[in-house]
Parts: sequence; C-alpha cells; structure tokens
Amino acid sequence: MTDKQENIRVGLAASAGGHASELMKLARCWKGYDCFFVTTSRVVERQMAQHGRVYVVPESNRRQPLRILRTLACCAKIVIKERPDAVVTTGAAVGCLMAFLGNLSGAKVAWIDSIANSEGLSLSGRLARPFADLVLTQWPELAKRYKSVEYAGHVL
Amino acid sequence: MIFLTVGTIFPFDRLVRAVDEAIEAAVITRPVFAQIGQADYKPRHMEHVSILDKRAFDRQVDEADFVISHAGVGSLLIALERRKRLLVVPRMRRYKEAVNDHQLAPARRFAELGHVLAAYDCDELPQRVREMDSFTPVSRESQAYRVAQRLSQFIDGVVADAGRDVAEGFHRTHAM
Repeated sequence: MTDKQENIRVGLAASAGGHASELMKLARCWKGYDCFFVTTSRVVERQMAQHGRVYVVPESNRRQPLRILRTLACCAKIVIKERPDAVVTTGAAVGCLMAFLGNLSGAKVAWIDSIANSEGLSLSGRLARPFADLVLTQWPELAKRYKSVEYAGHVL
Repeated sequence: MIFLTVGTIFPFDRLVRAVDEAIEAAVITRPVFAQIGQADYKPRHMEHVSILDKRAFDRQVDEADFVISHAGVGSLLIALERRKRLLVVPRMRRYKEAVNDHQLAPARRFAELGHVLAAYDCDELPQRVREMDSFTPVSRESQAYRVAQRLSQFIDGVVADAGRDVAEGFHRTHAM
C-alpha cells in the first residue's frame, strides 16, 4: 500500500498568508503521498519544505492581468514537470490557476474555499469550480446554497 | 503586553497609526509590541519589527494579554487556536488596504459568534480596547481533522482510479 501511495503525486497550492495557513492545517490528508507545493512567498517556504518540494511563483490577482499570465506560465511549467495525480488548493489566484492546469493535465482537483468566505463562495472559488472534482466550503449554509459544494467541517 | 500584527504582505498603516495614537492618548496603557509588515508609517510609541518568523510570532501571541490584528485568516487561526483574546480591524478596499473587502465578512461573523471583538473603523478602536479586559471569547474547536479526512477520501479515490488504470493497462498488454 505504501509503495502504491508513493506513486501518487499530490500538488498543493495556496497563496502566502491565510490561504497557506489553512492549507497547512490539512497536512494529514497528504501524508504518505509524493507532494509538491506551489505558493507565492518565501515566508511560508520553510514550513512547506518539511512536507515536499516547494515552488514559489509571483503573487498575482485579478487586477494584474500581466502578472496573472506570468504566474500562469510558471504554474504551467510546474504542472508539466510534476504531472500531479491530484491537486488540492485553498486558493486564491494561484490556487485557481493550479486548479485549471491540474484539470487540463488530467489530475483530480479539490478546492477548499477559505473560512473567510462566510457570505458566499470566493470569486476564485467560483472561477475554479468548473475545474474542480470536489469543492468544500467551511460554512454549512453555503453548501446548501450552491449545487455540488460540500461542507465537511471548518479548519478554524 | 499587547501584540499588534497586520500581516506581512500588504501595509496596514491605518491600524498601526491608530494604535500608536491610542498609546499617545493613554487609551492603551500596556506596552505594545508590533509586527508591522510593509508599513510606511513608523510608530513612535511601541517596539516594532517588520516581520517575525513563525516561532517568534507564536511566542508573542502566547505572551500577550491580548492581540490586535487585521481580520486576516492567519491571525484569526493562530489567536483562536491558542485561545488568545483578539481584537480585529478589517482592511478596507476604500483605503486601498486590500483589493476587496474580504476581511469584513469574517470579522463580522467571528464577532457575532463571540470569538473575537471587531472594530470596523479606527474611531471604534479605543472603545473596543477598553472592552478587551472584560471580554471572554467563545472558544472555537478546529475541525481540520474532519476536512482532512474528507480530502484523504478524495485522494484515496484518485489512488483507486490509478490502480484500476494500471490493472487495465496490464490486461490490455497481456491480451495483445
């Protein structure tokens, strides 16, 4: 079983800050798999490096289309190199890009929307939804509001 | 001691300045230690650094009587996890402190649930600071294990699919 699991590659993506904090709370789900991380700042690199390879890509948001393209290119290189079987992300922009690219490359994609989004799914969550095989919200009432969005508890 | 933190990625001068002024006006009488990130405003009445590593950050949280912070998830997570009283001030788009008002909803929700106190404007800060002394937060249990369990199930599904593909490939190879 262990050998089999090590053949499975899981890509974990989160912007630096709260998104990364939420992702790191979920560490037990990727234990035993071959993991790599995609994030946006060296600040969180050390913590992630204990679990797998870390790639730092430029921070971007929807107001910076050129930077988004640059981040997309960086992420595409990573996905081509790593060929993940699954992508797990807590957002935001970089998570969205990894969800899109993961889906494109045939990986199964899980999106965990941040606890911050208590009044509706985040914009990046809504954008990533078509590319995700599993979408989790951390607020039970939102799981009722959106089709195919699940609630499985809250990280915080 | 009060620990003030505003994250490290974007500046939040409005809050740093408000706390500095509250010290000057003797609304805050305890010493304040601050992680001010990329702030342009340099506080005059508190000890401050731009960034702390995780261990030093956690130690400041533990040693503080209470924490004042932006309403970022990272700050909420650490303060609630360590059962520390927390006063949050959400970053606002209109002051160019964030690209949108994403900190407003969590500030409201966590304040409604009694986990934190929130000041929605710096004018409210002195009053909220006074309330901190008698504030007993409702504790919040993380369910990270449940979310992780659901994700494990999801990844196990990927493993099962991969296993099936390998088996099918094997049969195909041997059928030829």
